[in-house]
Amino acid sequence: MADVAIETVTLTIDGVPVTALKGTLVIEAARQMGVMIPHFCYHPKLKPDANCRMCVVEIEKVPKLQTSCSTPVAEGMVVRTATTVVNEAHKSILEFILANHPLDCPVCDQGGRCDLQDFSHESTPTTSRFVEVKRIFQKEYFSPLIETEMNRCVQCLRCVRYCDEVMDVKALAPSGRGTMTEIKHFSIHELDCEFCGGCVQICPVGAITSRLSMYEFRPWMLKRADTICTYCGDGCQITIQTKENELIEVNSSHGAGRNNGDLCPRGFFGYHVSTHPDRLQHPLIRRNGALVQTTWEEALEFIAETCLSLKLAHGPTAFAGLIASRCTNEDLYVFQKFMRLVIGTNQLDSSARYGHINGVRALLRVQGTHRWTIAFEDIVSAHALLLVGTNITETNPITGLKVKEAVKKRGAVLVTVEALQPAIGTISNITNLAAHHVTAHPERFGDAVLGLIKGVVEEGLVDPSLTQRAPEYVKAISEAVRCLPWSAIEQATGSTSSALRAAARAFADAPRAVILVGQGVLRAPGGSGVTTTLLDLLLLTGHHGRPGCGLAPLAEENNDQGAVEMGTVAEFLPGPGDLTDQAVRERIAGLWKEELPQTPGRTLMEILDDARAGTVKVLFVVGENPVGTLPHAARAKEALERLELLVCQELFLTETAALADVVLPACSYAEKSGTFTNTEGHVQSVRQAIEPVGESRPDWEILSALSVLLGYPIEYREPREILKEIRSLISGYGLLGPAPIPPRPDAAVVEGYLKKGFAEDVTSRYSLSSSTDRQAGNLTLVVAQSLFHSGKLSTRAKGLLELQKAGALALNPADATLLGIAEGDQVRLSNARGQMTTSVQVRDRVPEGQAVFPEHFDQEVRRLLSVSPDPQTGAPYFKTTQVKVEKV
Amino acid sequence: MLLEKYTDHINEILSRYPVRRSALLPLLNLAQREDGYVSESAMKEIARILRLTPSQVYEVVTFYTMLNLKPIGKFHIQVCRSLMCALVGSDTLVGWLQARLGIRPRETTPDRLFTLSTVECLASCGTGPMMQVNEEYYEQLTEEKVDRILADLKRDGTCSLKSGPFMFPQPELQQVKR
Ligand code: SF4
Ligand code: SF4
Ligand code: SF4
Ligand code: FES
Ligand code: FES
Repeated sequence: MADVAIETVTLTIDGVPVTALKGTLVIEAARQMGVMIPHFCYHPKLKPDANCRMCVVEIEKVPKLQTSCSTPVAEGMVVRTATTVVNEAHKSILEFILANHPLDCPVCDQGGRCDLQDFSHESTPTTSRFVEVKRIFQKEYFSPLIETEMNRCVQCLRCVRYCDEVMDVKALAPSGRGTMTEIKHFSIHELDCEFCGGCVQICPVGAITSRLSMYEFRPWMLKRADTICTYCGDGCQITIQTKENELIEVNSSHGAGRNNGDLCPRGFFGYHVSTHPDRLQHPLIRRNGALVQTTWEEALEFIAETCLSLKLAHGPTAFAGLIASRCTNEDLYVFQKFMRLVIGTNQLDSSARYGHINGVRALLRVQGTHRWTIAFEDIVSAHALLLVGTNITETNPITGLKVKEAVKKRGAVLVTVEALQPAIGTISNITNLAAHHVTAHPERFGDAVLGLIKGVVEEGLVDPSLTQRAPEYVKAISEAVRCLPWSAIEQATGSTSSALRAAARAFADAPRAVILVGQGVLRAPGGSGVTTTLLDLLLLTGHHGRPGCGLAPLAEENNDQGAVEMGTVAEFLPGPGDLTDQAVRERIAGLWKEELPQTPGRTLMEILDDARAGTVKVLFVVGENPVGTLPHAARAKEALERLELLVCQELFLTETAALADVVLPACSYAEKSGTFTNTEGHVQSVRQAIEPVGESRPDWEILSALSVLLGYPIEYREPREILKEIRSLISGYGLLGPAPIPPRPDAAVVEGYLKKGFAEDVTSRYSLSSSTDRQAGNLTLVVAQSLFHSGKLSTRAKGLLELQKAGALALNPADATLLGIAEGDQVRLSNARGQMTTSVQVRDRVPEGQAVFPEHFDQEVRRLLSVSPDPQTGAPYFKTTQVKVEKV
Repeated sequence: MLLEKYTDHINEILSRYPVRRSALLPLLNLAQREDGYVSESAMKEIARILRLTPSQVYEVVTFYTMLNLKPIGKFHIQVCRSLMCALVGSDTLVGWLQARLGIRPRETTPDRLFTLSTVECLASCGTGPMMQVNEEYYEQLTEEKVDRILADLKRDGTCSLKSGPFMFPQPELQQVKR
């Protein structure tokens, strides 16, 4: 990473000599030595604006006071931050601000954690010379979640600059001028933006606050728990603040976690899910066809008895288990141990199967790692970034911020291959920042990747040392791409050969290059193959294995990565180690002091098949909801109805839980402790913020209790004990430190891949996708993740429902015109499988020929989708289909 | 739609600047000439043309007092009330206008004929009190002159007392020189 010579300068601040990096601002140098210079407009995340003058200091040999937030340190500089002149200046600035500030601290939610209060407390006299009437802004409705009280505004413009510089949303406008400057959105319209909450967090006073917690607290009443967000693989650190066991607000302090204090709407406004009134409070058991309340004892005993008799009759192969990768590592670990030891089967899988497994399998195959070989820091410092099928703003918003930072602040070259097109909208669009962009068809990301590789080969950008090291590999790929006619690639990608060549060159020429692969690729047919081919691109350009370079598949769920590492997927034991790897088996058996079952693993779709066929009779489902996730065509409901025993551990009565024989209430992330492993392989602590809702219990505890009744006790006193066991078995769980140390590619595996491994499917990977040209009048329906939700879970968060409470079909304006449809119109979607109606949104960012529907509201849409499991990885693909769209 | 109507002109404006966003003020000016004010739809359209968000356009419009956010009357009367004009009675001038038109500054008459504004120095300090009506200056104003101007504007849409924005050097002097 560090390839710049570190230069330092030495200066004196308040008489103390300090050494700071060249380029450091005086205000930061002072902070580093413990001197806090009062400031409003300065924020380390933003470019200096020096508009408030609060941070002035004396600098020797400079005649006037200087703003320390915009003055870089210099050799020999002598700074004084607390002289009479400086103090007088601070007082006058505050006097000016207070000339207008309403001082309504008693009813201001910022009261007690307000910079203006703190600085005034330090330096204002108790009287003011101003007798003029204060400025009064009419109170205006701003938005359902964000409140403004502009009379309190100190006009530092931090909110506006954050929204622009960090978020790239540009939703806030300082309207008017001078004292009368007022922060607005667009004229009198209510705010429409990403609702990241960043402006709420960065406002130094109470001018922008959250309506979700308005007037509910005084900051000093709140109890804090630093924990990890449950809504995506980015794994942001959040602080959940509670008052008497009630969830009040969530924030994240600057510098905290992998997110550095930034959040997205899900993290900032989505926390009420844990206390939703529909939460399951008691165990439920099916009696005479209906689920009725029961006690834990009765529920667990019923399960144990039924399991024992079914196991006696049919053996352990009649059992299977599914778990959601939203669970903690501790839950996941205990789950697989329960299935393997207590039940005696390897027939278990998790929601990592939906796509994350594709990325992991490709990484393992080519470089022998199951984790990224880079970290977020490498994204920020990359010279070139290639994004393929990520829709990053909506799926992994914080990884998206790292990309924005790399491009906007550090001038990285961005290449995007996305089913999106550049357009200004109310939410940011990463393709707007791209130097090279390919608008890909959602089923043809692979073709665009082949176009890039062809560009690399034809432009002579193949790393010469690779050609020496692996001549066969280079030859095979070069020949394969030479056989692909540009005309076909141009047709498949809609990009010209010269554009693809230029993009290839930009990527290849960069000293440090990073590839991010998202759900668009990982959850589409050939997901693992396209990821492998992207690793070829890294290898060919000589980036592979270089420090700071690598390929990073983006995890969708908060603990997808943990699910793989805990061995809760069909093919892996904890580690992850191959289920059939004798050495791994022996090691685990040694630790568990028990033999591992011999039976093969079964993937999600196979388990459902087995249930339908009647060979699986008992299914344990922990937080997973196949009935509510898979399309109707997967016939999951039919499969589960055939089971003799379906046990669900859940927060809510989901479509799957509604079919269960026993439903056990589980704790949400806010009520338990443990760890999550984020997309970059960083293991982070989850800490309990509130008491368990109703009688709910953590998943691991439920499984542990069951194990006792089943006669194979696996008991732990607390999650930390489980983590201890995980540590002894799985590498990378030792230190929950501030930054992950990414693994290095395994040289032997890479050699193996280059010598032989690549050959097994090089022909199929290097052919263009068979043409799936849509019929005239049809659109390609893409069921995608929205920024405002995460799976179905967040659709129970009241804050997020304010932002999006129903699905709508997003169309390109040209298609809308062609179909005679306008924003808000009702349309019918239909194909051979069925039909549904919904309303329309016209969005410039949706490419022509595509129609995007949010997966969180896909109850009806799933009727139209088909499902096909990946022949190698078993990942079920069902995110795109062809539909006819008509106005109704 | 501005772009449809003024395609060439807009493209010419865009061609002047290496950074697209720089064309914002000329385009706003164009929009205001078209409608007398900058409408929301114009702001949105300009945002699209320049690849900005509507908020970014809006903040600029609100910064410049010469850009109007609300529809204005057919005649926009802008009275200078900076120091020089104030010394020779711009307050009285505003008073006359208020009385004649029945509106206060920043208001428009119900017949949508006149909008009254007060502005800072219009660079005609030697000939105050003065006002600008649309593109024309009226200087060294007296009560009688104001009456005549308003009546003429109402009746004819113009008034011969106008002196053009470039009073100095005075037209007679220019002729003498030549
Ligand atoms: S919440 Fe909206 S306005 Fe505020 S910073 Fe985020 S995107 Fe911008
Ligand atoms: S609203 Fe807050 S952050 Fe924004 S300008 Fe005002 S004081 Fe600064
Ligand atoms: S959903 Fe993802 S990006 Fe948003 S706050 Fe949670 S972890 Fe961060
Ligand atoms: S903090 Fe330095 S001028 Fe505002
Ligand atoms: S002071 Fe009125 S024109 Fe200058």
